[in-house]
Amino acid sequence: MTDAPLQLSIRDLTVTVEEKTGARTLLDRVSLDLAKGEVLGLVGESGSGKSLFCRALVGLLPSQSLRLAQGTVLLDGEDIAKASPEALQAIRGARIGMIFQNPTSHLDPVMRIGDQIVEGVAFHQGLNRMEAKAAALEIMRQVGFTDPPRQFGNYAHEFSGGMRQRAMIAIALACNPEILIADEPTTALDVTIQAQILDLLLDLRKTRGLSIILITHDLGVVAQTCDRIAVMRHGRLIEIGEKRTILKNPREDYTRTLIASHPSMPAETAPAAALTQEPSTIKLRPLVEIDDLHVRFPVGGGLLSRRKTFSAVGGVSLQILPGETVGIVGESGSGKSTLARAMLGLTPLSDGHVTFDGHSLSLKRAETLKALRSQAAMVFQDPYNSLNPRLTIGETLSEVLRVQKKVPDAAIPARVEALLDLVELDRSFAGRKPRSLSGGQCQRAGIARALAVEPRLIVADECIAALDVTIQAQIVALLRKLVSTMDLTLVFIAHDLAVVRALCQRVVVMHHGRIVEEGPSETVFANPREAYTAALIAAIPDFDPDRPLSGRSLPLPPLKGQPA
Amino acid sequence: MHRYRFILTRPLQFLPVIFGVSIITFVLVRLIPGDPARVLLGARATPSAIANVRAQFGLDEPIWAQYFYFLQNLLKGEMGKSITYKIDVLPLIATRIEPTLALVFSSVLLSVLIAVPMAALAARNRGRPVDHLVRILSTFGIGFPPFWVALMLILLLAIAFPVLPVSGYGSTLGDKLVHLILPSVTIALSLSTVLMRSLRAAMVEWLKSDVATAARARGMPESIVFWRHVLPNAVAPTINLLAVNIGWLIGGTVVVESVFAIPGMGQLLVRAIFARDYMVVQGVAMVFACATVLVNFLADIATVAADPRVKL
Repeated sequence: MTDAPLQLSIRDLTVTVEEKTGARTLLDRVSLDLAKGEVLGLVGESGSGKSLFCRALVGLLPSQSLRLAQGTVLLDGEDIAKASPEALQAIRGARIGMIFQNPTSHLDPVMRIGDQIVEGVAFHQGLNRMEAKAAALEIMRQVGFTDPPRQFGNYAHEFSGGMRQRAMIAIALACNPEILIADEPTTALDVTIQAQILDLLLDLRKTRGLSIILITHDLGVVAQTCDRIAVMRHGRLIEIGEKRTILKNPREDYTRTLIASHPSMPAETAPAAALTQEPSTIKLRPLVEIDDLHVRFPVGGGLLSRRKTFSAVGGVSLQILPGETVGIVGESGSGKSTLARAMLGLTPLSDGHVTFDGHSLSLKRAETLKALRSQAAMVFQDPYNSLNPRLTIGETLSEVLRVQKKVPDAAIPARVEALLDLVELDRSFAGRKPRSLSGGQCQRAGIARALAVEPRLIVADECIAALDVTIQAQIVALLRKLVSTMDLTLVFIAHDLAVVRALCQRVVVMHHGRIVEEGPSETVFANPREAYTAALIAAIPDFDPDRPLSGRSLPLPPLKGQPA
Repeated sequence: MHRYRFILTRPLQFLPVIFGVSIITFVLVRLIPGDPARVLLGARATPSAIANVRAQFGLDEPIWAQYFYFLQNLLKGEMGKSITYKIDVLPLIATRIEPTLALVFSSVLLSVLIAVPMAALAARNRGRPVDHLVRILSTFGIGFPPFWVALMLILLLAIAFPVLPVSGYGSTLGDKLVHLILPSVTIALSLSTVLMRSLRAAMVEWLKSDVATAARARGMPESIVFWRHVLPNAVAPTINLLAVNIGWLIGGTVVVESVFAIPGMGQLLVRAIFARDYMVVQGVAMVFACATVLVNFLADIATVAADPRVKL
């Protein structure tokens, strides 16, 4: 541990919620210290109370029914837990700054980025408009804006996700805080961008002497950035200590589970390649054959101006054999989702051919679509938004079964139960609606819906991206089981390379709408041919603290759209 | 800036709309039972006198020919001659535009001036007594029909306590403004409640939003959070609601102008309908339609100005 003076000392912080049945404890006597200049990683699943904890520190409890029941928060020796709202307001921003997981929803959409930075500078440092603008431009430069004077006037939606997070950080820095609380700052970002943002945070700690509390569910991120790790579960702090100690010798079972489910861990189970016998698959006719596929979307244009197009997929050729598990990886915007949708006939093809089981989508569209709808299915990223909230899981499944007519009506209830068994959900879930399910349970229901088609091909588009690591591991295990037992072909789209490596026999790397590299997973990951693939792999936060992440070699992401 | 390029191209789309409106009003007016010549000349007119008037105004021609002349006139900037007033329709309407425009403008201004502070007060005190009070008042505003409110206001403020004129429209600016108070209040009482409810809902939403949380997390006082971040985000959806209501209001002035005897287009329209004065009805309907299209166009511009994400 560092011997720097303590900056923040929290003792027995307890938050309760008032309910009709009495008070329920959400945070249970959490105690921890933060030294000056330290980076503390706070890990745990969603619902473990880690975000609530940080909000409680600065008196920003998300609901009025929540109450800070007991505990002290000493900021430089002064208890702020019982401070007046005015005193807390003076501490927020100026002494304890926050950045959030989703910069898109936290940035003001109708205010220029520069003005949002100026606001903090002007308010907390009492500068006039001109001085504040100069200071804001300087901060923008510090956090990696390439052209601050021009980008000052841009709005949040004109930036990429990574740049938005930089803007969020700039806005926090504008108030010149001593402590920065970063709540899942990189969860919504691609690995390469994540590496850059983490780099930036570490850099700021060095140059500004910031103390940082980094909330995350990714142990790889923690291993790469933090000095100490605190693990939370069910509103309790169950383990805290030096990073290497915790990662090597976790005391708690739960910490061990967290570590075991981290995707960068070498898979204990047999590698995916061993699932099918290679020789027999070679002679097979490809189930999906994509030949020089182009998908272009119109952007802008109207009555008088000429239509412009954006090329999402530009000249992709790919064959998928029956029984194969293929991973498609790439950053957001690389065209992997568009490729998946084109494969299923869900988006119009601009050029080229997609053939499913010998039917060509461009030549015999109706016939191919009929084959696709009865033999292929999709699992979506957001399980809540892709299931009808008004239907129970049972109704959703029987709807598919009724439409597909592969099962006689009388046998539908039994089939629904069989499907639930297959995805390891209790049969009672048939009567529940998506809202009452957890993310993992909901995604299982989504997979059951795909299986109801009795498909030969399943396309899973970022189906685990929205889930906690432990749940991710369970869903991946489920997919692996299904593929090995059911004669399924799986196309698995993800930006998380480690998961793809563990699940897929073959991997396709996409960049700017093209395939840059393709081959057996083991080969590609062990010896990437292309620099882009190598950069992607290097940017995965490794679980081992002594193998640093490298995001610096990648160029900064340019401003999205809009040539000036 | 190219976000605003639609200002140049959009008006082209108005032409087919106006053309469609012209056909519909032209046909609908002629579906009203009754003959303008007979209404004009009275019950004892001789058949030859009626035929004479019909010929004079071209009413004896087939309907498609009448429409053709109407379009021809329209392109020349004319709308034909009023049967009852015996003058050109366009100058006639022109004299009536100002009172209606003044009435619509003052009512909308008053509505916004009532709605924004009330919505802010309610949203910032959500769930407290003042919020409930504002919402109960707004229910009354929606519940009472405008003609009844108008009559009650006249009884109270012009007859029981004669501080304001009963009806009419003055000749000097100050006089006109005094005459506009009661009719504007009448309209604003119902319009402001509609706006208020929409604004309050949007403000409550944005007060709970991540944008507001982020602003609080950087130490902004509640007043800055509200006026600088919540309000600008909350107005966008209300702009369109306001546009729809102004469109409705332009036609709705008919009732208020009649009750308060304001010599505007609404009053002109009512009289023209009773007199079967086809040309005037057509003309007023066309002006109303153009005004509605224009208001929606202005609302589009305002929406783009209020929210940089919107592209038209």
